[in-house]
Amino acid sequence: MVKLAFEHRQAGHCESGVTRNLLNYHHFKISEPMAFGIGAGLFFSYLPFLKMQHAPTTSFRVWPGQVFDRATRELGVKTAVHTFRNPKDSMDKLNEVLEQGYPVGLQVGTFHLPFFPPEYRMHYNMHNMIVYGHENGTYFISDTLMENLVEINYEDLMRVRFAKGAFAPQGRMYYPTHVPARIDIKPAIVKGIRKTANNMVGIPFPLIGVKGIRYLAGRMRKWEKKLGEAKASYYLGQVLRMEEEVGTAGAGFRFIYGAFLEEASTVLNQPWLRELSFEMGENANSWREFSYLGSRNCKKRGKPDQSYDFLADMLIEIANREEKIFKKLSTIK
Amino acid sequence: MEENLNPVYKDKAYGQHRELSYSYGDGGTFEKTVGFHGEADRLILQQAWDLFHERIEEARQRVLAGKASPVVYFMEKNLLDPMNLSMMAGISLWRVKWHFKPGVFKRLNDKTLQKYAEAFNITVDQLRKIES
Repeated sequence: MVKLAFEHRQAGHCESGVTRNLLNYHHFKISEPMAFGIGAGLFFSYLPFLKMQHAPTTSFRVWPGQVFDRATRELGVKTAVHTFRNPKDSMDKLNEVLEQGYPVGLQVGTFHLPFFPPEYRMHYNMHNMIVYGHENGTYFISDTLMENLVEINYEDLMRVRFAKGAFAPQGRMYYPTHVPARIDIKPAIVKGIRKTANNMVGIPFPLIGVKGIRYLAGRMRKWEKKLGEAKASYYLGQVLRMEEEVGTAGAGFRFIYGAFLEEASTVLNQPWLRELSFEMGENANSWREFSYLGSRNCKKRGKPDQSYDFLADMLIEIANREEKIFKKLSTIK
Repeated sequence: MEENLNPVYKDKAYGQHRELSYSYGDGGTFEKTVGFHGEADRLILQQAWDLFHERIEEARQRVLAGKASPVVYFMEKNLLDPMNLSMMAGISLWRVKWHFKPGVFKRLNDKTLQKYAEAFNITVDQLRKIES
């Protein structure tokens, strides 16, 4: 049996929360927005050809696993990452690593996760949590979504680690093996900001970044005519669910990114980043406004100021603002 | 535990965990708060669950009327679509769709049924009839 002295802290976003908690365990103090920003987690993509729960996928974040990978790489932290074919092997390896004294991050599917809140229990294979000990087939879990520590038994853990379907986790486990005593955080921040700015405004492809927001706005105007009222409303709901629901800390990560810019401005001593963090906060508030009006629309209270055209106009405005912010951010030195 | 319940839910089994969220205030600072999610979040989640339940009930009626095979019902019940089901059961997409026909489903061998049963986390007997 092992039970590491692990400090559980709740977080807004599962993966950056896991990254922060793991690094904190190894005595490197970093905040959640910092982990998110260095990991370049902010993104936007709208993929109409990839259906998720019967509606097009909208994503406000990068590929799962990237936040941890990027953040640790930029900070010079050595990590180990494993995926498995055989479920039994993965559990043996997990026990072995725990006995060596490392808490381990896991990518899991949420559908069979017993402690997960029932209203969120859908097929979503990109959730992250930390195992910090085990005893007689019971595993001790720190899930950053939950307020308290939880437990899970051997069979359930094996099942969620090998959840199948899109983005199957395949038992993915990861943990820092060596954290340097002195870390210079400044170049990592600059690189993270540059990467995010490039993701948002630098990629010449219509479905991602700021262009993706405009594309979504264009599509949104046609939804009602093309799909009928019920389906259009469901499609809108899907965008909002991806934006507001579990694990985005609100407004599709825009709040958390604003908090990161605020912190970065003091660390780098560059006051203009503070100005941009105000802009980002305003921007996040408009996303929040968008989702509030959108949810009214989902309830079928079809007022003129909540029509798809109005919402699409709002999105265009948001896109313009974000383009301005990220164009400025891309000039960071 | 907390005595206060989330006011936006009538059913106390739902929405009763508190999550952390960020916000941006007038003073230009970002704040962290821990609390229940609000009415807007409930609405959009409710919309998804309404659709799922509707689809499950519709699938059940179609299976009972003999227009679809039980695979359709259990697929909807597990909130899957044909693509995800084919990944989970390890059966190709067009075969999964082919098995949606009740006549085809009746002739399936035990090996294939077992694959579906595992994907749905039930026994083969349960898969054969859905009334229970």
